Amino acid sequence: MLRVLRKFGGNARALATVFTSSVPLLIIGGLLYAGLFVKAEARIQKVDPPAIERRDNFFGLTLVDEKVVWAVGSTGKIVRSEDGGTSWVRQDSGINVNLMSIAAWDSQSAVAVGNGGAIRYTHDGGRSWVAANVPASDHPSKFLRVRIADDNAWVVGEFNAMLRSADRGKTWQRVLDAEDRGLNDIAFVGKNGWAVGEFGSVLLTSDGGATWNSVETANKVSLMSVAFRDASHGVSVGLTGTLLTTRDGGQHWNVVAGLTREHFFQVIWDEDRWLAIGDKGVVATADADAGKWTVGRVMPGDVAWRTQVVKAGERYVLAGMNLAAIEEGRFAAGATSSEGARK
Amino acid sequence: MKNETFGRIDHVFAGLIRNRVLVIVAILAMTIVMGVLASRIEVKSVFSDLLPTNHPYVQVNQRFKSTFGGSNMVSIMLEAEKGDIFNVPFLRKVQDVTKGLQLVEGVDTYQIISLASKKLKEVRASTEGVESRPLMWPELPRNDAELAALRESVLNNPLVYGPYVSMDLKATLVTVDFNDGAIDYTKAFNQIMKLVEEAKGEGVQVRVVGEPVLYGWVNFYLHETLMIFVAAVVALVLLLCLITRTAHGTLLPLLAGLISAIWALGAAEIMGFHLDPLVVVVAFLITAQAISNSVQLISRFDDEIERGATSAEAAARASARNLFKPSLLAIVADAGCVLIVALTPIPMLQKISYIGTVWVLTIFVTALTLTPVMLSYCSTRRRVLHPINISPILNAVLNLCSKVVTTRARYAVLGGSLIVFVVSGLYAFNLKVGDANPGSPILWPDSSYNRDASDINRQFQGSDRMFVVVAGDQPGVLREPEVLAHMTRFQKYMEAQPEVGGSISIADILPQVKRVLREGNPMYQEVGQSADENGELTYMFVSGSDPGDMDRYADMEARNGSVTLFFRDHQGETIRTAVARVREYVEQNPVKDAQYLLAGGLVGVLAAVNEVILSGQIEAIALALLVLVVCCTVTYRSTVAGVFFMIPVLLSNTITFSYMAWQGIGMNINTLPVVALGIGLGVDYSFYIVDGIREELHHSHNIERAIVSAILGPGKGVLITAATLITSVVLWSFSSLRLQADMGVLIGLWLFISAFSALFIMPAIVYVFRPEFIVGSKRRPIEQAEATALA
Repeated sequence: MLRVLRKFGGNARALATVFTSSVPLLIIGGLLYAGLFVKAEARIQKVDPPAIERRDNFFGLTLVDEKVVWAVGSTGKIVRSEDGGTSWVRQDSGINVNLMSIAAWDSQSAVAVGNGGAIRYTHDGGRSWVAANVPASDHPSKFLRVRIADDNAWVVGEFNAMLRSADRGKTWQRVLDAEDRGLNDIAFVGKNGWAVGEFGSVLLTSDGGATWNSVETANKVSLMSVAFRDASHGVSVGLTGTLLTTRDGGQHWNVVAGLTREHFFQVIWDEDRWLAIGDKGVVATADADAGKWTVGRVMPGDVAWRTQVVKAGERYVLAGMNLAAIEEGRFAAGATSSEGARK
Repeated sequence: MKNETFGRIDHVFAGLIRNRVLVIVAILAMTIVMGVLASRIEVKSVFSDLLPTNHPYVQVNQRFKSTFGGSNMVSIMLEAEKGDIFNVPFLRKVQDVTKGLQLVEGVDTYQIISLASKKLKEVRASTEGVESRPLMWPELPRNDAELAALRESVLNNPLVYGPYVSMDLKATLVTVDFNDGAIDYTKAFNQIMKLVEEAKGEGVQVRVVGEPVLYGWVNFYLHETLMIFVAAVVALVLLLCLITRTAHGTLLPLLAGLISAIWALGAAEIMGFHLDPLVVVVAFLITAQAISNSVQLISRFDDEIERGATSAEAAARASARNLFKPSLLAIVADAGCVLIVALTPIPMLQKISYIGTVWVLTIFVTALTLTPVMLSYCSTRRRVLHPINISPILNAVLNLCSKVVTTRARYAVLGGSLIVFVVSGLYAFNLKVGDANPGSPILWPDSSYNRDASDINRQFQGSDRMFVVVAGDQPGVLREPEVLAHMTRFQKYMEAQPEVGGSISIADILPQVKRVLREGNPMYQEVGQSADENGELTYMFVSGSDPGDMDRYADMEARNGSVTLFFRDHQGETIRTAVARVREYVEQNPVKDAQYLLAGGLVGVLAAVNEVILSGQIEAIALALLVLVVCCTVTYRSTVAGVFFMIPVLLSNTITFSYMAWQGIGMNINTLPVVALGIGLGVDYSFYIVDGIREELHHSHNIERAIVSAILGPGKGVLITAATLITSVVLWSFSSLRLQADMGVLIGLWLFISAFSALFIMPAIVYVFRPEFIVGSKRRPIEQAEATALA
């Protein structure tokens, strides 16, 4: 090849000489540079967290219609489903505290409450969650439940917290004075309302929540949930299998004893039956008169704790240790089954 | 080379041969001394040797491993074939293994964790408040009611259900950590395997993984490794005998290799190093170099005899004189490349590098000096040992080489090589740093260790651990709700990576205690609202238990705590992603009064090793090439020479790396020695060919004839060396250790490419480009040899 260059005379040869003697120097210089200064950079794969992460616990659920469901849980997690709980999309709550409960007016407006007095509302289907205007409190204020009744939103929580908002969650007013007793749930039928809480407390109102009166019951165990199917027939459930029924709008409560030692966390009126759920997958059902109760498991072998259940069309969606959607046919309530036989 | 230099070298060798008895006795004496030393060398693996001591992760690991769990963790899984684990016979086995582990040598008895140990507890409310008590210690459940109670406690305890009992309740884990300095892998391995064997059967499967077990397996195969080594040496002897058909052609290369090895191992003992069974293959790399040198000398000697040398002594002198320069260049360049490896701050690599350098340098005595001296004893009459003559085959190959160079085919060879170089160079970027596959790359995927590993990772969150330390600026930081909440979010963030099976920290424990305190209401499964409350929760958890039980998660003064992440595999990609995510998270979410420190546990130290290798690999390759280039430049007084000899080295590097990438062999602590030491391997073949061409040009100006005669002369030596070494190295592929099989193939590939470059590519380049340092120019004409120079 150099012979070919020679044909072009001295200039080309000089050029070739310069080339052949400078290239090696460049290569040596390059190696020296690479050896001393070049450091390899690792390429890192990106990880997108799923909407529901392994660590997530869910404490509250709300149903807008058969399709739209919201759920809230640990570390500020809010997820929304538009297909009845099959798939979920994460929403940014803007806070990191555990959220305990959520309630919705419609598919656009909802309010979520939780630890540290947190109340967040949305009016755009959850694209943005806004901090509500909540009166300050000197006491620990963990809000445990939010419910909507006649366009009013009600929140209950620790230290006798009961707050009400008439403007779809923007501003809140305290209804009761602070007291060393937590309220865990609240329910309304028309002007009649009931609130339950620690030490077996039951409060009643008959004027839409303006005034509340205590009712004495035989039960001293914390009540976690209360539900009424009309103004007079109601059920309240609580820790260590506590279950109370009333037929007179909550004036008198009948203790149903010996059902189970597991905690109940919620009771609902499920179209034509009472349905209570709780710790270690426990389920209790009874027909309308709430006289005879049957205890079983959500699913055979299931031992997850469940704090809330809603019925979306034909299926139940449950919040708790995890989020679960269960087709009605597979809901094993009432069936006595042995644990752990998951095959 | 100047004729006078030639004369001087000739003079020296004449002197050596004159005093050949003295020389041989001296070398023999030295060999005996070194042999005694070498016989004392210890063959063992030391895990801490693999760790880059100055790397911050390793320092974090060293500082916290005694409490947060080091890299020597062993996990034993007991799995029920039918039903679940809640029956007395199964649980008794768990208890037996747990108790048995306390007697295993080197075990940190405070770090044995299982259902049957004191460490797994449940926290429950009682009339006196909150008590925490062991799940199944010291007594097994006695009846069905107690079994049911145990099952219930397990199911309700996320610290147990998941991490220590599988989600389907069919398997449970026993983990144990070892004291770093005290561990003898072979003893520990044998004792653990005995426990495993005893526990096996009656419907129970037992699987066991962990670094001590892995290295136990390596030692377990030590015997086989030695057998293969012996087989490889025997194959080498037989092949040399077959090809050379002479006693000296068979024995002298072997003698050179053997004495080099003895001296090197003796030197290693003097330097206080031990031999790692995993790098035995490396010995072959350097022995290959010694044998190559010796074979060249012998082949030249035979040529000199054939050309009618007057005496064996004259022939020995002539071959030593003529091959002195390329041999010395090969030795110095290779030693330089091997020494560069010592720059990698990993003790094992440094030791290998020092041993390797000494080893390569001994070739100067064992091959370059001893071979000619011994050759002088040989007879000038050629006596063949057996009737099989395969030299027609060798000659056919060599003739093919010269045909290729002297015809247009040379352009095809050059073009083809260029394409191969570019393609393999690009493909080589797929080479992975760190382990490229799940399981251990040291063993075959279907080895019982790797099957155990995949079984355990199927049932549990992951057997490989990394801990990240949350280091507070002052005591009590780990009680701050803000810090604890930060830890929870950090864990959640890390768990989004699919290879992270789970994580655990004090921020998982306090919510459990608080839930118990709040009558078991999960709505209160959260950390306390204030530092004081968290202090109380900690106190409740610790009360009634051994001091030190909390240490796994945080120290007494709540200043330093750990977040332990469980990994399903320790592939390089997994570890890099995890480390980058830790950094990213901590950067974007700073926490008050505390820092996150990377990283301990096996995955933590592997991260450090991989980072060192990643940042060091370009450096090592570039500097090794630089050493080579400088050596060649100085020897031939030409920068072109330096670049010229880079060609075969670069080609074998890119092709070998591509092969590794293709076969999924990662660049890790075990493969790096071979890769790094291999950089200078085989370049000597090209030295001999090029020097042969130059030598011929001293006698005539016809380049074509010079190339052909170089191919037929030194080329033959190259062919013999490559053929014998490649064949014997391939024997390693029968090893039960995948690493050794892989490395055997790699070395074989390396030698093949070097031989191919030396015989086909380099002559073609010389022919086409006519580099000045070989063919000379008008200004620097080739000095013609004096007629007397060839005795």
